[in-house]
Amino acid sequence: MELNENIKGFARKTTGKGLLLVVVAAVTLEATSLVQYFSSRRMLMEEASLRAESELRATRNKIMDIVDQAESAVHNSIWISRWCLDYPDSLAVVSRRIVEENPSVVGSTIALVPGYNKDLPLYAPYVCRTADGGTELKSLATEEYDYPSQEWFTEPLKYGIGYWSEPYLDEGGGDILMTTYSVPVMDNFGRVAAVLTADVSLDWLTDLIGSLRVYPDAFSVLISREGKIMVSPVEELNMHESIQEFAKGTKDTSSFNVLAKGMLAGKSGNVSLKQSRRERMFVFYAPVEKTGWSMAIAIPDSEIYGEIRRMSLLVTFLMLIGLGMLVLILRSVIRNQLEFTQLNEKQNQMENELRIGHDIQMSMIPQSLHPFPERKDIDLAAIIVPAKEVGGDLYDFYMREDKLFFCVGDVSGKGVPASLVMAVTRSLFRTLSAHEKSPQRIVTLMNDSMTDMNNNEMFVTFFCGVLDMTTGHLRYCNAGHNPPVIYNGDVQFLPALPNLPLGVLSGMSFQEQELDLACDDTLFLYTDGVTEAENPLHELFGESRMEAVLRTRRNAQENLEVMRKAVADFVDGADPSDDLTMLFIHYLNDMQPDETERHLILHNDIQQIPQLAEFIETIAEEIELDQGLAMSLNLALEEAVTNVILYAYPEGSDGLVDIEAIFSREKLKFIISDSGVEFDPTAAPEADVTLGVEDRPIGGLGIYLVRKIMDTVSYERADGKNVLSMTKKL
Amino acid sequence: MEVIINKVDSVTTVRLVGRLDTPASQDVAQQFEPLMADAKGTTVLDCTEMSYISSSGLRIFLSLRKAAASQGGKVIVKNISDDIRQVFMMTGFLNLFEIE
Repeated sequence: MELNENIKGFARKTTGKGLLLVVVAAVTLEATSLVQYFSSRRMLMEEASLRAESELRATRNKIMDIVDQAESAVHNSIWISRWCLDYPDSLAVVSRRIVEENPSVVGSTIALVPGYNKDLPLYAPYVCRTADGGTELKSLATEEYDYPSQEWFTEPLKYGIGYWSEPYLDEGGGDILMTTYSVPVMDNFGRVAAVLTADVSLDWLTDLIGSLRVYPDAFSVLISREGKIMVSPVEELNMHESIQEFAKGTKDTSSFNVLAKGMLAGKSGNVSLKQSRRERMFVFYAPVEKTGWSMAIAIPDSEIYGEIRRMSLLVTFLMLIGLGMLVLILRSVIRNQLEFTQLNEKQNQMENELRIGHDIQMSMIPQSLHPFPERKDIDLAAIIVPAKEVGGDLYDFYMREDKLFFCVGDVSGKGVPASLVMAVTRSLFRTLSAHEKSPQRIVTLMNDSMTDMNNNEMFVTFFCGVLDMTTGHLRYCNAGHNPPVIYNGDVQFLPALPNLPLGVLSGMSFQEQELDLACDDTLFLYTDGVTEAENPLHELFGESRMEAVLRTRRNAQENLEVMRKAVADFVDGADPSDDLTMLFIHYLNDMQPDETERHLILHNDIQQIPQLAEFIETIAEEIELDQGLAMSLNLALEEAVTNVILYAYPEGSDGLVDIEAIFSREKLKFIISDSGVEFDPTAAPEADVTLGVEDRPIGGLGIYLVRKIMDTVSYERADGKNVLSMTKKL
Repeated sequence: MEVIINKVDSVTTVRLVGRLDTPASQDVAQQFEPLMADAKGTTVLDCTEMSYISSSGLRIFLSLRKAAASQGGKVIVKNISDDIRQVFMMTGFLNLFEIE
């Protein structure tokens, strides 16, 4: 549960951080693109403004060319007109020349001021260009036309200077847009005599203005002095509506009025107009001098900023894709992180369990540092170094009735399965050896138990030994394990029959071997973790290196350290491939050299009992026992032997009782053996010595006294013999 | 082992001389039979010269003690050595006998 909570908390935190990251990225991107958007907008506006102004300037120049051409044609003809005032017929010649010499001039007249020539109250010969390129002479001095009332006639006279008329549609000439430049003509006496005009066709203006294409959707407008729309893309408006009136009908009248006012005032500038709810346009305007016209170029915002809109759409799109990808990446990163965390937690848990397993396993084997502090006859050191946390090696040892029971084993395989089999093996050893003294019996029973329950084809190589501490007599049985090393001045392998490992074959009979250890002999038991330790070059530590280490005499603990270091140095940091186990047993019973053995063989005749007293007496003399102790020992021996004499053999049959005494100044041991019927005197119930006279049974005191007097008493049935051993510390 | 029985009035003094081991006990048991048959009085077991006793010896002592107890007699163990006192102690005999 806690694990899940942890992971959920972690997920919440990570997701929160991820979201924050996405938001920050989005804001940053948006801010960047906004900055870019506005700076691009400004640049585009500047560019549009430049382009519009240059276009305006160019157009104005073109107009001015024609205007100037017309003006100069008129001005250049003033003096000749003045000459011709007195010869009205020649006036038409002047006009014709103007028309013929100036392509932009389509008609010209010199109209006399009424009353100037008494003969001709109204006189205005008009020369105009015909469709075929020739000229035609007409008279404007008609009653319907009444030229003296026309603007082109009155205005120049009013101001005394050249005047450009408001544009108009020439009704006679096929609705051609026209304007007229007219100047007053003085006679030689300074009187106002006539008005000289040149009609300029403005058709080209439509083409010129119409051809202006600053942007594909931009358009241009030309208005007259009075505000009349001369040229615009909307034909219906042309020459029919003024800009002021048009402004009233638009959605953005106020801005439009600003534009109209600026244009009518002959200024240049720009105005932003709202065209519809979503569309705005930018209008640049500039005056056309002399004519009083004003020209404007209108560019829709979409046109100016079109690029940037497309760009910003693209940028937004890319940004969204980027953010989407960021979210996906973050999601997968978070998921991976979560999986990793979960895995980590699991692994930690597993490692923890393995650590506990290791501790349990290590607590199963006896501690090896001075395991028998009260004994001076043994020095023992052991260690297991598992390759992993838990392993399949084992050793065990314990002391019972002055005998050291010990074993070393190696379970096939490694890790947890091997460790479980190791635990089972160790328990079996303890359980089965508690009632057995023969290694062969122990190994056989263990093998039968293990083959019965072994379903996993696991087996154990095993070496089991029982060392009699008093005599140094070692009995051992090997079950497929590496033969131990013994060194007694010389280093050699213990002669050990291989036999089969435990758990392989049920009912297998193992063979026991024996050997007598002398004081200072050392047994070295090990698993193949020692001999098969591998260095980085895949060489094995091997038996020769092991023997070389053992050749120097040390105590068990030192031996262990030196061997361990030798293996570690050899392996040189390579991963251990197998568990490593070592058990050093240094036998130090130095009483053995001064030990004496006395032997006595009696017949099963009670009359021979007094011989025991003499037997004890010689021993007592030899090791200077006090009389009381000697008597006690005599009593114990007598009781034990009496038992045999009375019960071992059938009445009337002859049998022998073998009495062996092994003794030193410190210790005495009796071994009483007979080949009679199996009888275990130690199995008799303990006598109750607290009972009163009436309740007290007559018998049962003999074995009771033996137990009371001796330190250890043990019975064994071996090789068809009853063997009773008893020891006493002196 | 030598057993010297000396009866004065109702007090029978038995001198045990030597080792009361298992074979000796067989003889001594025979010599004790009349004592056990008539154990109404006081029997003093003089152990001054007894150097050793085995469980079979103790058994004789106990049999006599039982006989005396059933006949209303009394058994006094006299002068046991320290070593034999140890054996008496181990076996709880100190509580069964009057020791002088």
